[in-house]
Amino acid sequence: MNPQTATSTTDVVIRLVGESGEGTVSLGDLLVQMFTAMGLDIYTFQTFPAEIKGGTVMYQVRARSGIVLSHGDAADVLVALNSEGFGLFGDGLREGGILVYNSDVFTPKPDPSRTDYALPITTLARTEKEKVRHEIEGEALKRLPAPVNIVGLGALLRLVDAPLLPAEQYIRDLFGRKGDAIVRMNISALHTGAACIAEQMEGKRTPHVYPVERPSPVLRVNGNQMLAMGAIAAGMRFYAGYPITPATEIMEVLAKELPAFGGDVIQAEDEIAALGMAIGASYAGKKAMTATSGPGLSLMVEQINLAGQAEIPVVIVDVQRGGASTGLPTKTSQGDLNIALYGVHNESPRIVIAPTSIEDTFWTIIEAFNLAEAYQCPVIVLSEQALGTRICTVPPPDLTKVRTVNRLMPTLEERQAGYLRYRDTDTGVSPMAIPGMEKGAYTTTGIEHDEEGNPGYTPELATKMKAKRFRKLETCNRERGADFVHFWGDTGEAEVGIIAFGATEGVIREATERARAEGFRVAHLHLKMLNPLPVEIVEEFGARCHKILVPELNWSGQLANWLRVNTSLKLHKFHKDEGIPFVPNEIYQQIIALATH
Amino acid sequence: MAVTNIVQHAPKDYKSNLKPIWCPGCGDFGVLNALYKAMSICNLDPDNTVIVSGIGCSSRLPGFVATYGFHGVHGRVLPVATGIKVARPELNVIAVGGDGDGYSIGGGHLPHAARRNPDITYLVMNNNTYGLTKGQVSPTSMVPLASVQAKLDPKRWKTTPYGMFEEPLNPIAMAIAYDVSFVARGFSYKPNQLTDLLVQAIQHKGFALIDTFSPCPTFNQDQTDDFYKDHTYDVPEDHDPTDRVRAFELALRTDGFPIGVIYKHENKHSMIEEQAALKRRFPQDTPPSLETVFKKYH
Repeated sequence: MNPQTATSTTDVVIRLVGESGEGTVSLGDLLVQMFTAMGLDIYTFQTFPAEIKGGTVMYQVRARSGIVLSHGDAADVLVALNSEGFGLFGDGLREGGILVYNSDVFTPKPDPSRTDYALPITTLARTEKEKVRHEIEGEALKRLPAPVNIVGLGALLRLVDAPLLPAEQYIRDLFGRKGDAIVRMNISALHTGAACIAEQMEGKRTPHVYPVERPSPVLRVNGNQMLAMGAIAAGMRFYAGYPITPATEIMEVLAKELPAFGGDVIQAEDEIAALGMAIGASYAGKKAMTATSGPGLSLMVEQINLAGQAEIPVVIVDVQRGGASTGLPTKTSQGDLNIALYGVHNESPRIVIAPTSIEDTFWTIIEAFNLAEAYQCPVIVLSEQALGTRICTVPPPDLTKVRTVNRLMPTLEERQAGYLRYRDTDTGVSPMAIPGMEKGAYTTTGIEHDEEGNPGYTPELATKMKAKRFRKLETCNRERGADFVHFWGDTGEAEVGIIAFGATEGVIREATERARAEGFRVAHLHLKMLNPLPVEIVEEFGARCHKILVPELNWSGQLANWLRVNTSLKLHKFHKDEGIPFVPNEIYQQIIALATH
Repeated sequence: MAVTNIVQHAPKDYKSNLKPIWCPGCGDFGVLNALYKAMSICNLDPDNTVIVSGIGCSSRLPGFVATYGFHGVHGRVLPVATGIKVARPELNVIAVGGDGDGYSIGGGHLPHAARRNPDITYLVMNNNTYGLTKGQVSPTSMVPLASVQAKLDPKRWKTTPYGMFEEPLNPIAMAIAYDVSFVARGFSYKPNQLTDLLVQAIQHKGFALIDTFSPCPTFNQDQTDDFYKDHTYDVPEDHDPTDRVRAFELALRTDGFPIGVIYKHENKHSMIEEQAALKRRFPQDTPPSLETVFKKYH
């Protein structure tokens, strides 16, 4: 559908909108499964209302033969299952795009720039259910939903000229144990949906989706699931959390998987307790984590400071959501950078890192534990709703590449020689005894303390111990800073340089490539470590760029502000906080505007 | 409880080289000495024992004990202690703190500790006041209720000079309502009895709360050691602590405060054992592989 359509490659964006809780999401999931089975790479974007039932949900699927970097710009196909959804998301359809609308509930005003397909999806689905009703028992019949999503699947597969056979097999696998009648109903529904579209195809435009040979199996996974699996790979064996949108799924995955790995998962009474438990478990020697979203992070601030001051490794994941206070709980944002960097009374060291893609989430969470253990401090991992809940196809991580770090512990000889838990060392890192170690007993405390851990309040001690703790961040930057930057685009002098963080990496790469294809020289530095900031690397990057663009999803330009505090660079801010991710075109427009003015 | 039979530890073995920072006459000295003795009687291995606290005068206690210690933030002693116990069930975990730490800022954690019932002893040094912030009402303060006739008395209760607008909590009744599996009350001026209660609490399998009257001679001129001597009595010998209704009646009596074991829920279900049992359901000899988890997402 995009310019590549002439060859047999695929790059199609299908956007589904409909009433929440009425099959839109399951239709999207089905479509993703079918396209994945065809060997295509998938990148999705979903936006939900905050309520369980009601409100309009949007599910966008981009399928491409080859790497997908973003959920795309305008949709090639819009499937509107209700009129409200068409009203809200209809203008997301590209010029000349295809609309499939639920003709049972509304008829859109004709528009010659659009190709319309009417799909009476409710009626068709009900008819399919009617056909088998005499074969099904009373109660089961009442509970049996009309196969709306399967009618929709048949229609869409036909529309993009994809084979129906894999879908038939899928239906057999899924519904087989529910009996022959239900399998037949769904297969019939699939063909009914397909036939309805086929009848209207004469003389109309249709997009094509071409199967691809895939060399190895892929995971169909979202960022939350990937993060949970990465944490297990990192050796995390204690998790405590409190349910909060959009982070809860991390806990759901861990609750299911971690016991087999010998780990514990506790649902705490609140986020304060969750972090308290994780800190306690880590003090006792386990790699421990909690995950939350903005409101929970606000509650955790006091104990993040304790972990910094008492030098206890712990990992805190923040799946950022939109808005302040309760805000936009089901939307996305990069608005928690400030609280991650500055959310503390006085100052204590913490490391802040951010994954850039679903694949990268696996490796970033492993590094979060490695950094926490190596530098004995809290590590905040800034994920985002769009990253956490988006399903993509990614290759399974190569587990032979997993490297884990464990905290420095004192030997028995060191402990016998007069153990100092907070020994002032060149790196700032001091060996940490854990309970059970002979001659290792000490009291950890958030109160200012000497090398032994005993409380002390003199100006000399306050300075010395604070310097010791902050020295760890310098060590971290020196030892690991260069591992936490990604460079994309031009490697030499550039008209425009982009500095950004988090899940915007893919969309910026796509925009950068679009501009470079037109002859602009564009470089892109993606920061994975926000604190400590690798200042020298940022300055070097800035020195080879004429202008620097800092795109980010928050109200005030938090990354740009942080860069202004720490570097000499002159920056062009581009920030918005609407609850939705960037699309490639808006970044591209910014690049062009900067490059041509 | 991990009790070592190789070395018999004397009470002095549990003393650290730090001197307590408490005021002369503070009830917490008596509590600390009773704790040293109880730990010695139970012969807890100092290397395998953690004392956890929050913030307050009494929360400085971990530093005075020669075991592992955790002096955290205000009110969060029970989550931290729970995390330690779940992570390392073989450790002896004793949580300590004051009435403000446990019943005010940290009050929301108590019912959940009761629900989980980890094998943790929670020693609350209750002085019915805020001492570290120099004399304000606590959730257990027994200040006369506010009335329009109340005399201004700013010296004694600095944030409630016209009296208090709230009723005091009854932590014992509250703990029985939460089904804390061992509920006792001690008094720092009855050190032998307190030692015995601590021994019972440490040996109890499950979450044990000992609310201990520990007078603050500096800021509480109402609930002094003499006040408690006059207003406490021993739990009657025929009291059956396993009878929850009788325990409630005892806790709600208005003629004074009973000292002793008030409520016990023997063999109450504990999450610590469930967590361990859950892990045993999975094969222990062959380490699981993440590849099997990946397969769920193919």
